[in-house]
Amino acid sequence: MVIALALLAFTPLRRWMEASMSLHMLVQFPLVVLGGYLLAGELGPRATARLQRWNAHGLTGLLAVALLLALLMIPRWLDLAWVDLRFEIAKWLALLATGGALRLSWSRAGLLGQVFFLGNTLPMTVMAGYLFIESPLRLCNAYLLDDQVTVGKGLIVACALTAITWLIQAGRLLSRQAAPKRQLQ
Amino acid sequence: MLRTAFACAVLLLGAGLGAGWLTHGFQVWTAEGARRLEVLQRPIDVPAVPVQGPGVAARDLHDLLAGGQQVTIVDFIYTHCESLCLSLGNTYQQMQAALQATGKDTGVRLLSVSFDPQRDTVEQLLSHAKRMKADPAVWRFVRVPGEPELQRVLDRFQVVIVPDGRGDFQHNAALLVVDAQGRLVRIFDIAEQQLALDYARHLAAGGEL
Repeated sequence: MVIALALLAFTPLRRWMEASMSLHMLVQFPLVVLGGYLLAGELGPRATARLQRWNAHGLTGLLAVALLLALLMIPRWLDLAWVDLRFEIAKWLALLATGGALRLSWSRAGLLGQVFFLGNTLPMTVMAGYLFIESPLRLCNAYLLDDQVTVGKGLIVACALTAITWLIQAGRLLSRQAAPKRQLQ
Repeated sequence: MLRTAFACAVLLLGAGLGAGWLTHGFQVWTAEGARRLEVLQRPIDVPAVPVQGPGVAARDLHDLLAGGQQVTIVDFIYTHCESLCLSLGNTYQQMQAALQATGKDTGVRLLSVSFDPQRDTVEQLLSHAKRMKADPAVWRFVRVPGEPELQRVLDRFQVVIVPDGRGDFQHNAALLVVDAQGRLVRIFDIAEQQLALDYARHLAAGGEL
């Protein structure tokens, strides 16, 4: 997995992906987040426990994810990442942190925390996607206009898929919890 | 729980500061917006890169623009363009007409800089100028022959060119007002031609920035 991340980061693959807005945001972003998610699993139980003292109910982690995603949606960051290595590094760290925070916080947040988190981030992302589609101007100087529309649609589809996946998972969890009670009756 | 509250507060503060910095105090969200605001706050010197053009004797871009007499409205073009640049050309024709209509020298000049030196030779620029009915006394065309020099100009002015893979380019086209001292002082949208013209005239008449 570390090798896969390194391939993504240190080979021409990186610039190739970033040359297109849709590959950049819809493929590279999720892959790096996934990398962060998997990396967080490699943390020892001790380090995890120490981190979790600062992360009651997954609150800190999910807040971090929401804030980082919001920051990454600011078009200027995407442009800066393309021309300035410092912003590129910051972007990678932010995405890795997003993945790690998700892993450490998701189940701790419980269904209620998850609903609250998704209720905030999904509408925000759909809104951003809508703006990408509707804007007659290019929001990023580095990218083509039709690519921006693709990204907008992609963001909305991703939100819909996330919501559906979560609903299925939550439904399963709830029915599993309800099942033993029924047996008692 | 106290630690979590503390960590959350730090996160919120950090994100607020970061977002505030990135958006120049929540005023701009795009790199283009930031570019225009930054020029407004701090003028940018035109770099002294060699240029060539039909009827242009000047040695380099800085000399061409920093004569001390004239204010110039600069745009970046390529003559093979058939979309945005056509409207840019149209805008320039209208601005030229407005300048000629005054009947006297307004001290305002127009300059189109090609960022496609391979296809835009001096001859090509000349025939393009004729096609656009450009008056050489008002509206001139130049190319930057050297690739690194061209990149220097584009970088300095934060002009971003994206090839679309079909021989065309998308670029952040705009009207760049350069004062008589050769400093880029203001960037206007293409749609704001009247504003750009008025502002350039105001500068040429000795008005304040």
